[in-house]
Amino acid sequence: MTDRHPIPPEARAANLALWNHWTKVHEKSAFYDVEGFKAGASSLWPLEREELGPFVGDGTTLLHLQCHFGLDTLSWARLGASVVGLDLSDEAVALARRLADEVGLSDRAEFVCADLYDADAHLGDRLFDIVFVSWGALEWLPDLGRWAGIIARHLRPGGTFYMAEIHPFAYALDEVPGEQDVRVRYRLLPAPDAPDVEPVEGSYADRDADTAGLTSYGWAHSFAEILGALTAAGLRLEHLHEFPTSPAPFWDWMIRDEERWWWLPDGKGGRRNDLPFSYSLRASKPESGD
Amino acid sequence: MLDDYLKANLASWDEAVGLHVGSELYDVAGFRAGRSSLSEIELSELGPLIHDGTTLLHLQCHFGLDTLSWAREGAVVTGADFSGEAIRTARALADELGLSPRATFIQSDIEQLPDALSEQFDVVFTSWGALIWLGDLQHWADVVERFLKPGGTLYVAEFHPYAFLLADDATPDSLRIGYPYFQYGVPQRFDEPGDYADPTAKTEHNVTYEWLHGFAEILDPLLHRGLRLDFLHEFPYALPGLQFGFLERDEDGMLRVKGHHDDIPLSFTLRMTKEAR
Repeated sequence: MTDRHPIPPEARAANLALWNHWTKVHEKSAFYDVEGFKAGASSLWPLEREELGPFVGDGTTLLHLQCHFGLDTLSWARLGASVVGLDLSDEAVALARRLADEVGLSDRAEFVCADLYDADAHLGDRLFDIVFVSWGALEWLPDLGRWAGIIARHLRPGGTFYMAEIHPFAYALDEVPGEQDVRVRYRLLPAPDAPDVEPVEGSYADRDADTAGLTSYGWAHSFAEILGALTAAGLRLEHLHEFPTSPAPFWDWMIRDEERWWWLPDGKGGRRNDLPFSYSLRASKPESGD
Repeated sequence: MLDDYLKANLASWDEAVGLHVGSELYDVAGFRAGRSSLSEIELSELGPLIHDGTTLLHLQCHFGLDTLSWAREGAVVTGADFSGEAIRTARALADELGLSPRATFIQSDIEQLPDALSEQFDVVFTSWGALIWLGDLQHWADVVERFLKPGGTLYVAEFHPYAFLLADDATPDSLRIGYPYFQYGVPQRFDEPGDYADPTAKTEHNVTYEWLHGFAEILDPLLHRGLRLDFLHEFPYALPGLQFGFLERDEDGMLRVKGHHDDIPLSFTLRMTKEAR
């Protein structure tokens, strides 16, 4: 067994620099609407509140992995949960802590600055009722086996894992030059040793943000890999849902609906609903003895 | 409407049986001589669960080569298919090969099967181009659950949903999308002569209705009926039979996407267990 950190040092450094920079961009972005959040708005999608909300009550303990600067984490805290958010970016964690203080949630919100793969060292043997992951988290991880192991180790028996994510198929798409249409361009099967290394152009939250000199390291994933990792870690899949909607625009010609989801246009003024852009899944950790 | 779809598809499948029995793809002569029609994938993934006397229900079994191949592995098999032609051929083959004592074939559409069959099985098996003929996987999941013993295993080996999405004129440099991943129960209508086992065959019943199903559409109804996912595997190749211009054969005879031999999945398998509760 190797103890090699699954993220190569150059990838870790590049992604950390990127997320520290993006944190400053995102704090001021309309996409994240921090002012609205401070005024009481939830940053969670209705989808997440519908599907995970019934599991969250007063005092429910929730671990949010790859929490960025904590808006979703704190939104779960506002619904009664006692939350721990973990993120690799020190800028993001510092902002999350400031926000928690400012909106009076510090007593039920804790933020940990750590690489996802180092979570065990920071969380010790702490167990949670819920582990939550969302939107653009897996693409930063080369090794989902280790990821699922962390989730399973920090869920109490009977606990719930919930994830709402960008669809693996959507990650493989690119626009057809000169058309408002898409085609498959990138790999649809994982290659843990071959990250996609790209110069960063803006942010999903602000396409015009200045990100000159920044590089991202990302990894493709597939359903077999994702579900296989969770299953191998001992979690039991409870639901899998797929949607033709994206939480952020992949291309500037995508269109947004009243609930803020992004769609492919159908070329006739309407929306295309034929391709998957997101999914959600829920899995449970069996009670001991199951 | 559903009846019209079913009628058209049944006419096409009844016609296909005769073509397939004589085809190189199905190689019935080889099968008679002892060759298994099952792929390495199925033999390695489901084979270890098949013992002498394991009961297996093969849904959408066509004319029974795979069903009978599992019988040769020791299983006591029941094959079901909506085509009367297919079932007659399967029974004749079972007789000829001396497998009748451990092989039963039933002509029935999936939804009607609970009226025709009452026992439960150790294994429910379905494979390669079966699900696209089903408009409603909720009903299918009901049937799967109904026929599995507590503790029993569902095994599916199928073409990957992504295999059916690419446009007919997709090229390695421009893999355009031609078909929907989400169909919302509305079938694609095809009207094409020929057959997947023999593209040049002169065929009479050319209209078919097919439904592409995404992963959630396949898995979610089974999860909600209490089946536990044991594994989902994806493969960047498929067994011969798909007739798309963007595919080519590799050195092992498997189909892969031209210029993308290792990065686009064309098949998947899944295994689920009906837990004893």
